[in-house]
Amino acid sequence: MVARSRRAAAALLVLALGAGARASAQTLAVDTAGDAVKIRAPGFSFLKGDPLARLKDGRSVRVELTAMAFLSQGQPAAATTRRIFAVSYDLWEERFAVTTVGARALSVSHLALAAAEAWCVDQLTIPLSALGRDAPFWIRLEYRVLDGESGPESTDPFYSLQAIIDVLSRRGKKADASPRAIEGGPFRTPRGSPPPR
Amino acid sequence: MGSLLALSEGMRILAVLATLLVAAPQAATDQKTAVPEGTTITSAQVTGFDIDRLSPGLRQAIRDLEGTPLKQERLDELSARLEAERPHYVAAVRTVMDPGGQARVYFMMGRRDQPDHDDNINGRYIIDEAEITGVSELKLSQALKDDVRALVGKRLDSGDADKVEERIETELPKYSVSRQIRRGNEHGHIRLRFELRKKEAPPWLRFEPLRSNLVYHSDQSWGTYGDLNIGDRTLRFTPTFALADTETYVEEYSGYGLRFETRKLGTPRLGASLEWTWYETDWRDQTLHAAAVDPALPQLYDTRSAITPLIKFAISPDLSVAGGVSISELKPLTPGTGSQAANAAVASIDYYRDWDPRESDARHHVDGSFGVRAGSRDLESDYAYTRYLGQGSYRFDLGRHHVQATGMAGGISGTAPLFERFTLGDTMTLRGWDKYDIAPAGGDRMFYSSVEYRYTGVALFLDVGSVWDKDTDRQVRVSTGIGFHAGPAFLAIGFPLNTNDLHPIFTMGLRIPGTGIRW
Repeated sequence: MVARSRRAAAALLVLALGAGARASAQTLAVDTAGDAVKIRAPGFSFLKGDPLARLKDGRSVRVELTAMAFLSQGQPAAATTRRIFAVSYDLWEERFAVTTVGARALSVSHLALAAAEAWCVDQLTIPLSALGRDAPFWIRLEYRVLDGESGPESTDPFYSLQAIIDVLSRRGKKADASPRAIEGGPFRTPRGSPPPR
Repeated sequence: MGSLLALSEGMRILAVLATLLVAAPQAATDQKTAVPEGTTITSAQVTGFDIDRLSPGLRQAIRDLEGTPLKQERLDELSARLEAERPHYVAAVRTVMDPGGQARVYFMMGRRDQPDHDDNINGRYIIDEAEITGVSELKLSQALKDDVRALVGKRLDSGDADKVEERIETELPKYSVSRQIRRGNEHGHIRLRFELRKKEAPPWLRFEPLRSNLVYHSDQSWGTYGDLNIGDRTLRFTPTFALADTETYVEEYSGYGLRFETRKLGTPRLGASLEWTWYETDWRDQTLHAAAVDPALPQLYDTRSAITPLIKFAISPDLSVAGGVSISELKPLTPGTGSQAANAAVASIDYYRDWDPRESDARHHVDGSFGVRAGSRDLESDYAYTRYLGQGSYRFDLGRHHVQATGMAGGISGTAPLFERFTLGDTMTLRGWDKYDIAPAGGDRMFYSSVEYRYTGVALFLDVGSVWDKDTDRQVRVSTGIGFHAGPAFLAIGFPLNTNDLHPIFTMGLRIPGTGIRW
């Protein structure tokens, strides 16, 4: 009985350490640049799986990134910034290109995958005026792949056996390492920032 | 020069938007005033683009506008999302006040004449080969072939490639299209391929509908039934279990079973199923009392096991027939007495159809069946009887509005075992009544109808029905009530109407229509 409890405790410890290691692979950091907070999220990957396969097929993929700032947990966002990016993969250069969608279009090309993702995140800024002076805040970063060609979401009530095996296996855990959203905080605004509106 | 180009592009978009607005649906009060903020939206539609080609999230967001107060900011946001998803289209919002003082919203989409730039970096490369694969060339129209050929020798234009893809989808609706671009033979050149795959045809035969549930009835307590699919598109194993279930039969039963189904025996029109079940029964006091005072009722039993092989044949994808036998063994309550056999020939005809017109958000669903079970001495049955049951339902969905009408009627001639007798008054039928008050041992005649209107998660229902024995008085019972639904969870309060005892019945639980594992 004791041996079994020990084995269970050891398994839990391994799981907890694994989860911790995965969490540490994705961190959120912030910088201030002028009157805005810039977000950095090394390891936050949103070009993977089917969207990445589509890019490698020479198609462009649209991704919506949303950054939300919270002054306290469980409260509505104090500020939200949302931008849409058109990403494509240069078949000859084997590099990624990104264009922002909207009135003020910005473009960048010849980027490696991680650099392209980081560039997108870099375009999201939160105005300091929304956060106040020397105030703690939390950031949530989300992405959504806008792809009308993926067809309707499956209403099939079945779970595939492969999916279940993936979930229960190491492969499933690895796939979970990059969720659609990450959160970080508390961060603190500089003392000189303006009060919230 | 750059600003001139931008101005010219701006003018083009304005022209497209102006065309869209002129072509928009008109209503009587349309041109009087703008629809004020806060007006309730009765419908939200996308015109100029097939809504089914939008992402599921955006489609749902547009549908969710129905019933909500109009907020221009929200409409603009959705319009921006439409343009973001479909960059070669411009979207405009038009709100129209209908004669009832409510708002209709139209998202009008029109293709941009010439995109100012291609957001695909490969737009700078020359296409030196374009082809359609996965389908015989004989199936392609000359115009389509010409469109594909016209792409060759030019730089990749995603808009033109989209147009060809849309044309393929229109001409060959049975195929799904995926577009692939590969490097060409020399640097700076690419090959464009439209790969077609035949869509999975809808099956001719349906598997047995699943009905996992965990339900509570204030007069009957808790009961549960579970079934789990294990299989694929053609074959399915379904382990089942029941614990104190009172939903289907007059008895309360617990036990387990296994069903095997195939819907392809050489041809997709022919299928088969084999089900084995073993149940232990518990009888409510009311049923025991009814059996004690009426010796004409069939014998109570302690356990019931059955095996049911069936063959199914689809006349069309909507209509199928099934036939087979049901062999049941009933072990009596009294020890020392022999088991009884309740063997019956089984036949049924089923109709099932969904209408989902593309031009409208309304969906219709019709489901109907008629079944006969005939117990016969020729099948070495201790019961000789014939049981008929016809049932049908119609469901109409429009946004958040759902209407469902159901009806069924049945009769038994001869002496049928208790599990064949009809009951009403549970969490699905005659809500507001308790089956053990209406007919504690069931009846050999039954009719029932119900109408339910549901707006999002709130439902109002009216149930009417009667269950009785031949040569006895028939009493029609009516009930009404309100229900709340959230995903698989439901909660309902039903009130019996034509009685002096206004005793409400409270029901709640979970209904999961189908879960399973696909191999």
